[in-house]
Amino acid sequence: MRNPFALECGEFKVSYKQDMALYKNVRVRRRVLLVMAFFILYPLLASNYYISLATLAAMAAIGAIGLNILTGYTGLISIGVGAFLGVGGYATALLTTKVGLSFWIAVPLAGLITAAVGAIFGIPSLRLKGLYLAMATLAAQVIILFLIVNWESLTNGTAGLIVQRPELFGFTFSSEISYYYLVLAVLTGTAVFTMNLFRTRVGRAFVAIRDRDLAAEVMGINLFRYKIYAFAISSFFIGIAGALMAHYSRVIGPEHYDIGVSIAYLAMILIGGLGSVIGSIFGAVFITLLPVVLREGIAFLSPWVPGLADHYAGIRELVFGLIIILFLIYEPEGLNKIWRNIKDYFKLWPFSYSKK
Amino acid sequence: MNQNMKKKGFKHWWTMGMMVLAAVLLLAACGQETSGGTGNGGGSSGDDSGEVIRIGGIFDITGGTGDVGEPYAQGAKAYFEYVNEQGGLDGKEVKLFDIDYAYDVSQALEAYRRLTQQDKVIGILGWGTGDTEAMKELIAEDKIPYISGSYSENLTNVEEHPYNFLSAATYSDQARTAIHWFVENWTEDRPPRMALLYNDTPFGRSPVADAKAYAESLGVEVVDEQVVDITALDASSQLLNMRSKEPDFALIQQTWGATATILKDAQRLGIETQFLGLNWAAGEGVIPLAGDAAEGFIGVIPHAFPFEGLDQVPGLAEIEEYLENKGKSLDDINQKFVQGWHSAKVMLEGARLADELTGEGLRRGLEQLNEFDTGGLGAPVTFTEDNHRGTTAVRLAQVKDGQWEIITDYISYEE
Repeated sequence: MRNPFALECGEFKVSYKQDMALYKNVRVRRRVLLVMAFFILYPLLASNYYISLATLAAMAAIGAIGLNILTGYTGLISIGVGAFLGVGGYATALLTTKVGLSFWIAVPLAGLITAAVGAIFGIPSLRLKGLYLAMATLAAQVIILFLIVNWESLTNGTAGLIVQRPELFGFTFSSEISYYYLVLAVLTGTAVFTMNLFRTRVGRAFVAIRDRDLAAEVMGINLFRYKIYAFAISSFFIGIAGALMAHYSRVIGPEHYDIGVSIAYLAMILIGGLGSVIGSIFGAVFITLLPVVLREGIAFLSPWVPGLADHYAGIRELVFGLIIILFLIYEPEGLNKIWRNIKDYFKLWPFSYSKK
Repeated sequence: MNQNMKKKGFKHWWTMGMMVLAAVLLLAACGQETSGGTGNGGGSSGDDSGEVIRIGGIFDITGGTGDVGEPYAQGAKAYFEYVNEQGGLDGKEVKLFDIDYAYDVSQALEAYRRLTQQDKVIGILGWGTGDTEAMKELIAEDKIPYISGSYSENLTNVEEHPYNFLSAATYSDQARTAIHWFVENWTEDRPPRMALLYNDTPFGRSPVADAKAYAESLGVEVVDEQVVDITALDASSQLLNMRSKEPDFALIQQTWGATATILKDAQRLGIETQFLGLNWAAGEGVIPLAGDAAEGFIGVIPHAFPFEGLDQVPGLAEIEEYLENKGKSLDDINQKFVQGWHSAKVMLEGARLADELTGEGLRRGLEQLNEFDTGGLGAPVTFTEDNHRGTTAVRLAQVKDGQWEIITDYISYEE
């Protein structure tokens, strides 16, 4: 009988089916199921407040995966995430309140609308790269936010719009637990879709563009079309995340979508790991929990360190910046790489030198 | 080689460090149900026997409006401490769970969830307009009475937001009263021209439409409006634009920092316009920032200044007593401290009158406040079932010789 604790070794793939499997062996699949089981059982372990933190992190993860499709996998930088979240949020708010659509139709539609807007702002990406593209997407951030603030007849200006929690056959997703499961389901779908996307022709084209766009074009990839695809698919998920956030927080306004949000999302995928789904989730959890952990930490330490609490915002910015710098220097591949290092450490122990 | 090894060593520790961090995050996520957390104010730790009145505080101490938010938070915290020193509220301990949200809406929402779900508060003292408006649906659903540092007119609709209470005149009412006063004192025989200076936040924009409509109804010409960033260090271009329209007076809706910037740049550019600042633009803090440019600046003052003294404002006696126990005096605080104290006092008066210690009970308690006078710390506050607009009265003050001087009694545009 095979030892269930044995670590993988000497496994060979003997069919295309095995080669194409999402998880490379049965143990990985078991591990994934275990993790899923943890997240499904999590509300039983945690109080409402911790469930709400998990919900926030999960919604951020959907957006981070979206951004990672664009920046991590296709190599196109975007500083417009905040605004695209806003497009998703406002789209669903308007569709549910003014048009009267149900949540289940409005949210996917909000995703599609955001995809369309994203694709429009992606048009400059054919000519622009790197910093220049960053500036073009920054323009998206500024223009969309300006529209939200000033198109008062549609968006209600700075006062914002009120959004209702979704309903399904008379059941309202008003409790923390029900909304957590809803978001968890969407996150799972997003993660599985994205992992599969990069096993398809489109996804591989994205990666080819990232690695060397000229070579990709020579191979017959229509750069313009695929870059627009990348913007659209990425914005779709960001829009979905924005819509879910709107229904969660119930009120939306321009202050929810400022440039700081865009930077936080870039930090998520940077810290989590560019070009990795699991990294996006790590990054989202990390950035969502960082201010909370810092705040609690400062409250815990302040009896011993007087004056610490007076500098909370400063410390928050400092730690945020420091963590990004440390990651860029010591682990550019982010938390995902650290996670793999940890796995390797246990896998190879006590022969850690054997990997090098 | 050595360098390489060093680097590897660091990498090892970095990895280990991240593992520890992950473990801490995990522990935090599965942590205790009811931690005292950031709670302050109460001496002993809170128990849930029903004898502790748990109130939440969402303050900006370090963020964009921290210049006025910090003394406001100090004032609110001080009142809770004072009540406990006096033996509690009718013998019940009061406990304030305060969170610094650094003027960030998403953090305020997170803080709100912590306060309601973890700390089980029955009412919240809040801060900004953006975040208060972002929470108005949630607080209506959770039935958590909310007294904000924001006096936005949008929060006064009792039917839609039955748990928002305003302990001072709304920004719109402040602006209306200021305009009304200016028009009454206007001597020339042409209509006065008005400009508006505000920041592009819900707070800044809150009174704009109402102020314009009211001004026009009085025959005032609204000639210009300019957006000045809430953390602006330069407002020259906006003021140059404004100067070309020659307004006689300009309303400022900012906090101290941006107000001082506007006043200084206006002085430098030789602008003659009379500036009138709403509540958060006025107060002691603007004078040291603006220097002699503050001379002649008129402020809308909904709450008392500490320097007014006990015979003018008897309510200051409590504050003085509290400060003396801390080895301080009224000279160490400012008007925003009084404002925080006043809001906390209104909240706890509601709790005193509450028939049960729940959010719903607190709302009923607050709705019993009738001409509730904090000893002149602010205008008397009245709430009823269909009116949560505590008052419409404010006073005006003017900077003379580097010192605020009250120039009107409590007045209201309605009279």
